[in-house]
Amino acid sequence: MDLNYTAEDVIFRKQVRAWLEQNMPRQIRNLDERKAWHRRLYEAGYLGMGWPKEYGGQGARPMEQAIVADEMARAGAPAPTNSLGVGIVGPTIVVHGTDAQKRRYLRKILTAEEMWCQLYSEPNAGSDLAALRTAAEDKGDHFLVNGQKIWTSGGAIADWGLLLARTDPSVAKHKGISCFLMNMRQPGVDVRPLKQITGSSEFCEVFMTNARVEKDNQIGRLGEGWGIAQTTLGYERGGRALARITTYASQYRQLMDAARRLKRNGRPILDDAVTRQKLGRIWTDLEVERYGALRVLTMLERGEHPGAGGSLTKLSYSEFEKRFMELAEEILGPYGQLTDGVPAEYRLEVDTAVGDHGTWAYAFLWSRAGTIYAGSSEIQKNVIGERILGLPKESRADRVGGTR
Amino acid sequence: MNFSFSEDQTLLRSSVRAALDEQCKPAHVRAMMEDTGNGYGESLWGEMAKLGWLGLPFAEEQGGAGLGLVELALVLEEMGRAAYPGPYFASVVLAGLGLQAGGRADQKEKWLPAIASGQARGTAALLEDSLDWDPASTTTTATKTGAGWSLSGVKRFVPWAHVADVALVPARAPEGVSLFLVDPRAAGVTVTPMVGIDLTNRWSEVRLDGATGELVGQAGGAGPVLEGLLRRAAVGASAEMLGAARRCLDMSVGYVKVREQFGQLIGSFQAIRHRCAEMLLEVEKAHSAVYYAAWALGAGAEDATMAASVCKSFVSEAARQVCGDAIQVHGGIGFTWEYDLHLYFKRAKALEPLYGDAAYHRELLIRGQVLHSDK
Repeated sequence: MDLNYTAEDVIFRKQVRAWLEQNMPRQIRNLDERKAWHRRLYEAGYLGMGWPKEYGGQGARPMEQAIVADEMARAGAPAPTNSLGVGIVGPTIVVHGTDAQKRRYLRKILTAEEMWCQLYSEPNAGSDLAALRTAAEDKGDHFLVNGQKIWTSGGAIADWGLLLARTDPSVAKHKGISCFLMNMRQPGVDVRPLKQITGSSEFCEVFMTNARVEKDNQIGRLGEGWGIAQTTLGYERGGRALARITTYASQYRQLMDAARRLKRNGRPILDDAVTRQKLGRIWTDLEVERYGALRVLTMLERGEHPGAGGSLTKLSYSEFEKRFMELAEEILGPYGQLTDGVPAEYRLEVDTAVGDHGTWAYAFLWSRAGTIYAGSSEIQKNVIGERILGLPKESRADRVGGTR
Repeated sequence: MNFSFSEDQTLLRSSVRAALDEQCKPAHVRAMMEDTGNGYGESLWGEMAKLGWLGLPFAEEQGGAGLGLVELALVLEEMGRAAYPGPYFASVVLAGLGLQAGGRADQKEKWLPAIASGQARGTAALLEDSLDWDPASTTTTATKTGAGWSLSGVKRFVPWAHVADVALVPARAPEGVSLFLVDPRAAGVTVTPMVGIDLTNRWSEVRLDGATGELVGQAGGAGPVLEGLLRRAAVGASAEMLGAARRCLDMSVGYVKVREQFGQLIGSFQAIRHRCAEMLLEVEKAHSAVYYAAWALGAGAEDATMAASVCKSFVSEAARQVCGDAIQVHGGIGFTWEYDLHLYFKRAKALEPLYGDAAYHRELLIRGQVLHSDK
């Protein structure tokens, strides 16, 4: 046990820091500028780092990846784009794709020349993803896709989508699902932004009416889609271990500053014993999240996959973020609710992955999403109970029979 | 960066667990709880000396194994898991680490080998009636009498004082708060049992009435020694609480896999399963907090002081939650004396307020942050 960073990692961190100081754009005004920034990061070797070298990555260690993300969070660097492509679609193609698919798609994912989304959730298939109904019908040389997807991140800017669709309604629901790469730029695909409680639209609804998927864009064999989706969910849970903590710590410091300025009963809120206790609890939880991230990184560095342990990580940080933002709102009062006209000292200086909104109100509202997306907290607890603790499965009506 | 145990550390853990599984079964724990004598087993104590546990953190020239705080935390976690009844913590952590940090060379030479061999037992009297952990709150007085010192005052909740050969006692001298060695069996010392709900631990009130004290370190110099000792004790106690909590989790998971109601195993109900998942998360976080802090203190890391407070404040509440949830998950059986769950529940409870409770350490954290940013 040695929780110091190695000399090698310290040097690498300095290099990244120096590079960011020289290359980081002050401001990103539109998607083209974000794509250009993405491309610069890729060319510097700081994006898609974990990908194997043969597919355009660096074959970098998990710690190096974590350090880059961490330094970007520390510098307040704008996020790159195409995160689902780089984080999920690409690795899925690497593991399950054909050589032709790898040649055709991988490089353009890394360079953000082609933007990707993930077509998984449906109005009636959220936590129960395997209940999805979107159908892909075999037409000989192609499939015809009909159905609706929802909660599609980046759907409006995507050129391609990783699609889960039902190809066999006669078998048990987990077994009749297949995985495809679908061109989003075709007449049969209608993308509509979904306005969220934040007022913004990071997610879309996608309607597919006789949309076409070529045979050579099928991933894996027919009926293997569920297994493929399980591994991609696994990538999504791996996460930005250190960067997340650095962002929280920056928000925490800004909240402390606000608690120094704001007053209650004639005294700074920071002098109030109750508030100090609440801040102390959040700081404790934040530090424990950091220790947990170091444990996860240790596992990844040894080539072990956290597996269902990823559910512990995701459950933990997403629930923490809600508690943290609720305390922030409590301390900031109505300042915490401002979406416009925010006095400079109550702005939140953080570039979120989805865009720089610069308000506590946005961060607060967004914290409600974390315990729902990528497997709700309830689903994570089921996974932990079944796969880590080995508790008996509940009897479920859907484990037998077809979906028709 | 490597947050995992070495091969040696893993071996140490399994050998401690094997020894305690063999010699510290619940039957032994219960026998000691009901023991009208000293309340701990001499043969297990001798075994612990032989295995090198009693001198684990001391230097080799003082009869110790020269191991670090991570190894000590591993042993303590196992002791919490077994609800080990005896003066290990009092002797090795409180007296041993206290002397190691503040003692003169001759004092270390006299006591550390004796503690390591099991011949002597030590403790520390850190609390008075106000329950304030701040060393500056000490009211027990020390006055110079010729070659020595005379101590008067009342110490409370002194662990295993009734079997101790030596106690570290903070007292207020004209120079400031100082640390003394006191023989609890000497004249002027009255030791009276204070019986708590955790019968695997034994507290006493120690009344000093002109008792003889031997100065440890410099007169007026107890502050930094006591603060360092409190941090180590807080992390050590957290390790025990972690062990107790993990035991409660394991028992709960085992139970809900066999207990049936409504014709089904209760572990298949989400209400139970989700609670067990939450318990596991708390236990894993407690593990992170304990071993991070143990490493940081041992390595003298920049954030060691903060890590100790994060650890104690987190684990105090996590252990309370997990051990309490274990009773809830078990239902009625968990509320019976006969079932072993309450041994671990009470062990964790007893340690919750000691060496600073969660609220105390949260305040320390915020005070540290405010000081830091004012610099």
